[in-house]
Formats: sequence, structure tokens, C-alpha cells
Amino acid sequence: MTPRYAPGDAVRVRGKDKYGHVRTPDYIKGKSGTVAALFGEYRNPEELAYGGDGFPKRPLYKVSFSQAELWNDYEGSASDALYIDIYEHWLQDEGEDA
Amino acid sequence: MSGVHDMGGSPGGPIDKGQHEVQDWERLADAVTILLDKKGVKTTDQHRRAQESLPLEQYEALSYYERWTAATEALLIEKGVLTQEEIDAKSAELREHWNSQ
Repeated sequence: MTPRYAPGDAVRVRGKDKYGHVRTPDYIKGKSGTVAALFGEYRNPEELAYGGDGFPKRPLYKVSFSQAELWNDYEGSASDALYIDIYEHWLQDEGEDA
Repeated sequence: MSGVHDMGGSPGGPIDKGQHEVQDWERLADAVTILLDKKGVKTTDQHRRAQESLPLEQYEALSYYERWTAATEALLIEKGVLTQEEIDAKSAELREHWNSQ
């Protein structure tokens, strides 16, 4: 698959509409982030978990989130970021309807 | 919908940072689980899914390697390698053996 995103792109984590063997933590669903890096393409863990072969491979990104935006009572620096590895099928364009 | 394991970001209380001494049965549970991967019986992704499918009260009550063995047992049954009856019978046999030592 040709990667849809590149470093610097604004993305939003898909909402709670996806079921199954989810590898994306609940607390970032629906949150906005920025693509920091593309790691490469890997077999889809959601398929592998049920005995599938995991193909087609899915692009995996490192996505950054603002800690202050994630947590209401965050007391650290406003520039603190959290990086999470997220597969492309868990991301949508920032601004796109969930 | 998030699974029982997906507890990141929720209040969890203090973290126990104490060292955990690994028990013999835990080494064995680790070895058997990894060997089943090497033999192509199961995969890590399937094992994670089986752990995360455990009922909430079990998931929270079991220790790390107890969850591993529960998930390995579930996968072996799912794949038809062993039956629940065979596992239960062997467990009873071993329990009796150890209790008599």
C-alpha cells in the first residue's frame, strides 16, 4: 500500500466505531495528532489475531499527541508530547468526519 | 469499544515497583507458550487476543503468567490440539500427584 500520510501531516485517530483486536489505546481515540515518522509496512495485527495472514500489509506511523490536550489536569510542560505507534487504518485526515 | 486490557489513562493507583521473583512454573509457562509459536501452533497476536478476550473478573484477578496460561489453554482448545476435558483431567492428575508429595 502506498502510505497515505507523511511526516508533518495532521491526523485524527478514528473513533470508537472499530471492534475486534484493537491495538490503539482507548484514550487517544478521536484525538488529533501529527505524523512524526513512517516506520514501514507490517502485517495487520487485527487479522493476525484471528489466524489470518495479515495481508495486505499496513503502513505504521509514529504519531505525536500533545500531552496537555490529552489530559484535562496535565501539569507538565505545554510542549510535552506523547508518541504512539498507529496503523494507517486507524487514522483519518484531520477535519474529516468521524 | 475497548477491551479489558485497555486501561491506559484510567486511574490505577500506585504502581508496585518491587522486584518480582520469577517462579519455576512461570518460566515453564513462558517456555511452552514461546515453543508453540516456534512450532507454528499459534502466534503472538493470537495469544494477545486470547488474553484480551478473558472475562473482566478473570483478567483482573489473574497474575501475568496466569493470564498467559489461560490464553494458551484457550488457543489450544480453539485449535483442536487439546480438549477442555483432557486439560482438566491432566490438571486433576497433577494436583493429586503434588498433593501426595
